[in-house]
Amino acid sequence: MDLVVLVAFSSWLAPALASAGDKDKDNDSAFNYDYESLRIGGLVFAVVLFLMGIALIVTRKCTCSKSDKSRSREPNVESGVPRA
Amino acid sequence: MGDKDDRSPKKKKGATKDMDDLKKEVPITEHKMSVEEVCRKFQTDIVQGLTNAKAAEFLIRDGPNALTPPPTTPEWVKFCRQLFGGFSILLWTGAILCFLAYAIQAATEDDPAGDNLYLGIVLTAVVIITGCFSYFQEAKSSKIMESFKNMVPQQALVIREGEKVQINAEEVVAGDLIEVKGGDRIPADIRVVSAHGCKVDNSSLTGESEPQNRSPDCTHDNPLETRNIAFFSTNCVEGTARGLVICTGDRTVMGRIATLTSGLETGKTPIAKEIEHFIHIITGVAVFLGVTFFILAIILGYSWLEAVIFLIGIIVANVPEGLLATVTVCLTLTAKRMAKKNCLVKNLEAVETLGSTSTICSDKTGTLTQNRMTVAHMWFDNQIHEADTTEDQSGASFDKSSVTWLSLARVAGLCNRAQFKGGQDSLPILKRDVAGDASESALLKCIELSCGSVRVMRDKNKKVAEIPFNSTNKYQLSVHETEDPNDNRYLLVMKGAPERILDRCTTILLQGKEQPMDEELKEAFQNAYMELGGLGERVLGFCHVLLPEDQYPKGFAFDTDDVNFQTDNLCFVGLMSMIDPPRAAVPDAVGKCRSAGIKVIMVTGDHPITAKAIAKGVGIISEGNETVEDIAARLNIPVSQVNPRDAKACVIHGTDLKDLSQDQMDDILRNHTEIVFARTSPQQKLIIVEGCQRLGAIVAVTGDGVNDSPALKKADIGVAMGISGSDVSKQAADMILLDDNFASIVTGVEEGRLIFDNLKKSIAYTLTSNIPEITPFLLFIIVNIPLPLGTITILCIDLGTDMVPAISLAYEMAESDIMKRQPRNPTRDKLVNERLISIAYGQIGMIQALGGFFSYFVILAENGFLPSILVGIRLNWDNRSVNDLEDSYGQQWTYEQRKIVEFTCHTAFFVSIVVVQWADVIICKTRRNSVFQQGMKNKILIFGLFEETALAAFLSYCPGMDVALRMYPLKPTWWFCAFPYSFLIFVYDEVRKLLLRRNPGGWVEKETYY
Repeated sequence: MDLVVLVAFSSWLAPALASAGDKDKDNDSAFNYDYESLRIGGLVFAVVLFLMGIALIVTRKCTCSKSDKSRSREPNVESGVPRA
Repeated sequence: MGDKDDRSPKKKKGATKDMDDLKKEVPITEHKMSVEEVCRKFQTDIVQGLTNAKAAEFLIRDGPNALTPPPTTPEWVKFCRQLFGGFSILLWTGAILCFLAYAIQAATEDDPAGDNLYLGIVLTAVVIITGCFSYFQEAKSSKIMESFKNMVPQQALVIREGEKVQINAEEVVAGDLIEVKGGDRIPADIRVVSAHGCKVDNSSLTGESEPQNRSPDCTHDNPLETRNIAFFSTNCVEGTARGLVICTGDRTVMGRIATLTSGLETGKTPIAKEIEHFIHIITGVAVFLGVTFFILAIILGYSWLEAVIFLIGIIVANVPEGLLATVTVCLTLTAKRMAKKNCLVKNLEAVETLGSTSTICSDKTGTLTQNRMTVAHMWFDNQIHEADTTEDQSGASFDKSSVTWLSLARVAGLCNRAQFKGGQDSLPILKRDVAGDASESALLKCIELSCGSVRVMRDKNKKVAEIPFNSTNKYQLSVHETEDPNDNRYLLVMKGAPERILDRCTTILLQGKEQPMDEELKEAFQNAYMELGGLGERVLGFCHVLLPEDQYPKGFAFDTDDVNFQTDNLCFVGLMSMIDPPRAAVPDAVGKCRSAGIKVIMVTGDHPITAKAIAKGVGIISEGNETVEDIAARLNIPVSQVNPRDAKACVIHGTDLKDLSQDQMDDILRNHTEIVFARTSPQQKLIIVEGCQRLGAIVAVTGDGVNDSPALKKADIGVAMGISGSDVSKQAADMILLDDNFASIVTGVEEGRLIFDNLKKSIAYTLTSNIPEITPFLLFIIVNIPLPLGTITILCIDLGTDMVPAISLAYEMAESDIMKRQPRNPTRDKLVNERLISIAYGQIGMIQALGGFFSYFVILAENGFLPSILVGIRLNWDNRSVNDLEDSYGQQWTYEQRKIVEFTCHTAFFVSIVVVQWADVIICKTRRNSVFQQGMKNKILIFGLFEETALAAFLSYCPGMDVALRMYPLKPTWWFCAFPYSFLIFVYDEVRKLLLRRNPGGWVEKETYY
């Protein structure tokens, strides 16, 4: 899990660091911000987080399947034989 | 009954009187009349039956012989109920206020902001979508209900104009002469005029587990007890009978109960009451805030209309938009979880009710017991042996090696007319269908289980003669050839009432040897008989004799009418006793209910002795607890001298119940912890439930018979049995145990309590974010700063990021053993109380608001607007014509530039709320324990954390969001502004919970434990 978090963080920080690298030509650089790579980085971050969340749910079903076995059993309806 | 005015359609004015009338006992009098009188009353003939013309006339007069189905609520009414019930009202009010505010704005301003309109539309959409969702949820369970309906039309054999005709049971009219035979369902209430060994199963009507004899004589004043009335929709088990129809359709005993049931008004479910209370609190807070700021706004010099818009805005901002959906989903999840455990919940709100239940009134037959007679004990070799009565034959067995046992088994197997129905060889013995009397079937199954095939035994011992059981002889005998083909003697076997059997015996079989019956053995027999009878069991005696060959040579013509053979000087073999045994899981379930602080009361139509025996067997009367009668018997004093306070347990007979005043009834219910009501009528069951409710208990009723249905309907939650339950009971119930397992109730209690706790957590979580959502608007009004958080972003939180974490709290595990604590007190333990509001709004919410404002000021400061300049800037800021607004550094900003910064602030505020909500969801996981004790095992919650963050990032960074929702990308550093606040929330609440645990009952607990 720690590894995954690390990956997520680096994927988010990478574009920010990258954008910090190529500010060489403009004096006004403090007022120009590379919103393009910020957007991409943010989106990658969102997607990675989302996929991780999904992965978490999917693995949940596998690991816990032994603890609730009754999961697959549907209520047995047809056996209802009214008496009165 | 039967008079004409009774048949007039029910008028509204008389409806309440009718209900009272229905609550009274059955007014049938025909059982006391002679057959001729009955014939005269119905203008019919005892031989010829009704004439076709008369029958047609009666049919028109009385209507068809069928139960009027309970008035079904039309689908659209059900839908509207989902749409406008409970919580939805709050959202509807919010939506209407929004539209109103928009209308005011549209009328007064040239270019009104669309916020209020959007908010109104979204609120409406949320209510409608959630309404549809819960409507379909309930429609799904009602579809399962439909499948229970028995669609086969019933037939009846009537005699009209002297001819037997098979007609639809619906066409049967009062006065018809009817014939029923074993296996038929009785088509109407009939007065028996002649019967041959007729037995009916009244268990669904009276709760008696044994089939009852029917004969033409009146044996009891009470029509329910007398033998000459057979009731509509009970089953004829064996024999044949002929009878006159005295009541049809809704006027039958069954029909009256069904009408009584459908006419009963049911109160609100506990959770509905809680939600109502919650709405009151929320509305109170909203109106208080709204009015306060309305007055402030007026004082600050806003115009009336502006102030009204603010008022509405603040009130609407208090509406937790996502909570309706959250609550519905949480309840649905629990309902699904319960359905998996075979509890079908018909009404979503009933999911929680079992959790609040403080009293369970349970029917005996079919609910606590298996509703089949089973051999429970045997007495042979001067010793009582216990048979295995468990459903799966897991119980202890007895010594089967004794020769006496083999003889007893042979007698019980041979002197027995019951047999297995064909084609069931693959089924386990206990599951097989048996043709024959209940106690004979019990014997048959018992012998088949312990000694192998009874059919083989009967084939080996060919039956030569037989005298069936009748009530004058009180015995049954048969004569068989012996197994040994060389032995030409005949074997006579007999069973019957033990005292009659004993009278015919001179010897007794002990360890396989015949010994003379002496006084000592007779006393031993008496003791055994008394002991088994005292257990509420039905005892049968068995004896046999090998007829001497010289008197009864091979081919002897046994005459059963004239009894030309020896029926005394027999050899006594043993006793066998039968009972309808409790279901295996019941004692454990009753124990669990009791440790969960739930009082379990047995309410049955069966006899007191049987009821008490079963109550003791399943732990409803726990070991060592005595009734008044027990104490009297032990101390050898009259019952009247015993102080009723000394007895914890009590058994009350239905006839005594009739004479009790309300105070006496309350007294009994309050002072006895273990109560059994025996011989109760359906009406009395209802009175008992009402009595418990009067004392403030939340009552669950379990039952399967028609006689239980009024009580099922009246109870806070009625629990019916899915397999053995009758249609009427299932209609009346709120919950159905699909596997008929009483133990599922414990699951229901557990799930109900859990969801109540978890709903508190969900609500605490959802409400918290209300404060950081409202405060921006309040400060916007009061100190005139640019708006820190807009309507759209608020909706993104309430309906977007907050949803999954809030729902995930429904998956949270219990903090402590919820089955070990007392049921909640409905007057004291509320779903939402002031303490919850104080934590959510006053403490955590405030820290969250601080976090949000911090990000807001950081971003504005980074852009050049220091906080000092912001106060009072609003009028210029929002003015389109000001395009040279100067910031703290003298930079000039156009309107559009300012707005981009403002909306970036909205986004940052939104992201900050998400960040502080991380901590909030983690602290809301527990109410008392530390998170470190509880652990982070709730995967859904972790998923929720990921998902809300991903959604926040997506909303902020997705291209096009600046146009669609006016959300702008945030610099990474801005995400971290709220982190300290998130951490603060976590630490603050951990410390609070630590103090709470350290000082139980202390100030912290009193003031902050929700």
